[in-house]
Amino acid sequence: MNLDEVIADVRRGMIPATVYSDPELFELEKRRLFARAWMFLAHESEIPDPGDYVVRRIVDDSFIVCRDEAGEIRGLFNMCLHRGMQVCRSELGNTSHFRCPYHAWTYKNTGELTGVPFHGEAYGGEAGLAREGVGLLPAPRVDVCEGLIFASLDEHAPDLEDYLGDFRFFLRVYLGQSEAGAEVRGPQRFVINSNWKIGAENFSGDSYHTPHTHASVVDIDLFRAPKANKRKEGALYFADGGGGTTYKLPDEGFRGNLAHVGYPDEMIDAMERVWSAEHRALVGDARFMCSAATALPNLSFVHNWPQVNADGLVVPFVSIRLWQPISATETEVYSWFAVDRGAPDWFKDASYKAYLMCFGSSGMFEQDDVENWTSITAMSQGQMAERLNLHSRMGLTRDGETVVPPLSNWPAPGRAFVGFGEYNQRQLLNLWCDHLEAGEGTANGAAPPARAATLD
Amino acid sequence: MPTPLSYTGDTYGEILDFVYSEAAALDERRHHDWLAMLTDDVVYRMPVRVTTAHSLDDSLLVDMAHFDEDRYSLVKRVERFDTEHAWAEDPPSRTRRFVTNVRGWQGETPGELLVAASVLLFRSRGDRHPPDLVSAGRSDVLRRVDGQLKLAQRELAVDESVLRTQNLAVFL
Repeated sequence: MNLDEVIADVRRGMIPATVYSDPELFELEKRRLFARAWMFLAHESEIPDPGDYVVRRIVDDSFIVCRDEAGEIRGLFNMCLHRGMQVCRSELGNTSHFRCPYHAWTYKNTGELTGVPFHGEAYGGEAGLAREGVGLLPAPRVDVCEGLIFASLDEHAPDLEDYLGDFRFFLRVYLGQSEAGAEVRGPQRFVINSNWKIGAENFSGDSYHTPHTHASVVDIDLFRAPKANKRKEGALYFADGGGGTTYKLPDEGFRGNLAHVGYPDEMIDAMERVWSAEHRALVGDARFMCSAATALPNLSFVHNWPQVNADGLVVPFVSIRLWQPISATETEVYSWFAVDRGAPDWFKDASYKAYLMCFGSSGMFEQDDVENWTSITAMSQGQMAERLNLHSRMGLTRDGETVVPPLSNWPAPGRAFVGFGEYNQRQLLNLWCDHLEAGEGTANGAAPPARAATLD
Repeated sequence: MPTPLSYTGDTYGEILDFVYSEAAALDERRHHDWLAMLTDDVVYRMPVRVTTAHSLDDSLLVDMAHFDEDRYSLVKRVERFDTEHAWAEDPPSRTRRFVTNVRGWQGETPGELLVAASVLLFRSRGDRHPPDLVSAGRSDVLRRVDGQLKLAQRELAVDESVLRTQNLAVFL
């Protein structure tokens, strides 16, 4: 593989097919992208109380994501300092301490090493093994945005706020619908034989696939909006760290349009209170409702409004999903249902039902997506695929002009186009190129992190 | 738990008839026949399994499932297979359901039987990837409706915390 050639082709929207299966490229992604980006771990509502924890990975590294006794959120590398055993092996729970099953070294949920059996006899006490200030390796950076807990393995990574940039505006649409914020359920977890980028690209901007891949969902009257002539009226936006798709709404004003997708009055009241004038203009004046989106590298969102019962009740749902890379050709999908914490109970139940019917392990949208993505990954592994650059230039003419101009009255951050186009997939992969080009080391150009030799 | 129904009794035989007929309907993709074997108020669930410390007691999430279906959503799933655009199962998977360890009890409600069973789903798609297995315990409530046994409730205790099949476009 010639990285410079791959990057040059990707930047012009002609994607070498092997980027979806090349193990050498995956190793570069691990070192240059996943080790430096802000990676999603969990939502705050999964660990609401002191002692709560979940265990999550950043690619190959396991972290205990917990709330310590003082309420602070921690990301602790889940490897015992002594012999390297995985300290916490359940995936969720509540505890003040984690005890390694091998030799019983014990850590507080701040990470601090508090217990070493026979510390005096075996190690000569503090003289032999100083416990002071020693603990499980913390994730170099941990921060929270709109309830989403992220970590970065790069201690010099830009602040999360700057990394996401204006994409945070859209996080609010999904997860900031009232003062209370969102709560999540799940995740459902399942493994697919697909490269992680395919899902990330799809959610970032592929409105073009919806009418055909998801035709069955329209056929059975579950969700009518994806019809091609409706879907192409939506805007595709990209703002700093992420981008997404929207549907065009009717002309019923801010409140009327939110009611159209199934939000009840009390939730609309809350959105009217907490959202900015630009949010209100997006929904009420420009008449766009966010649907799928991706934040670099592998965190996606979706918001749709299917019919959830035989009486025709239309209710929206929000899902958070992580494309957790396992290898160049395998991805573990984590799929959460999210709903505003202040929503009425009937809405939470109906929205959960809407989610299950559409997305996640049994979702009728997701099933057909995955069939495509596993096929692309498999097809990209041969020698003929090495000769093929996949066409990802929709929305651009041969001389590089956009087929339609950017939307002039887009009231939200970023750049938006109405109609079908692969603007967002190109931009997502442009950011991917930026990381791969930057080489090893940290975001500020410093050397790769040294061994954290905590017990020396 | 009271004593299970005798394996040599007529009621146990009826339960096996139901369980095997249902497995055949699903293996053969006779989904409408399968829908006819469900009560109108059927509840069909597969909670998410998680890895928890000490015991399995809390290992099924109470608020998140892979399936949490009523008749409306099951009918939609079947209607979807009837369209020409259900790519997840077109071409169809070859599936076989191995249903074993069947035990039955009289339910507290007259006309209802409680059934516990193990199910192993074998699923093969296309010609490239190895087949998938999904293993689960079933806890069913069967109800007699107009003389016929029908499935009124199913709770599937799936044995994997991370499913190794690419979707649940199949029923267990």
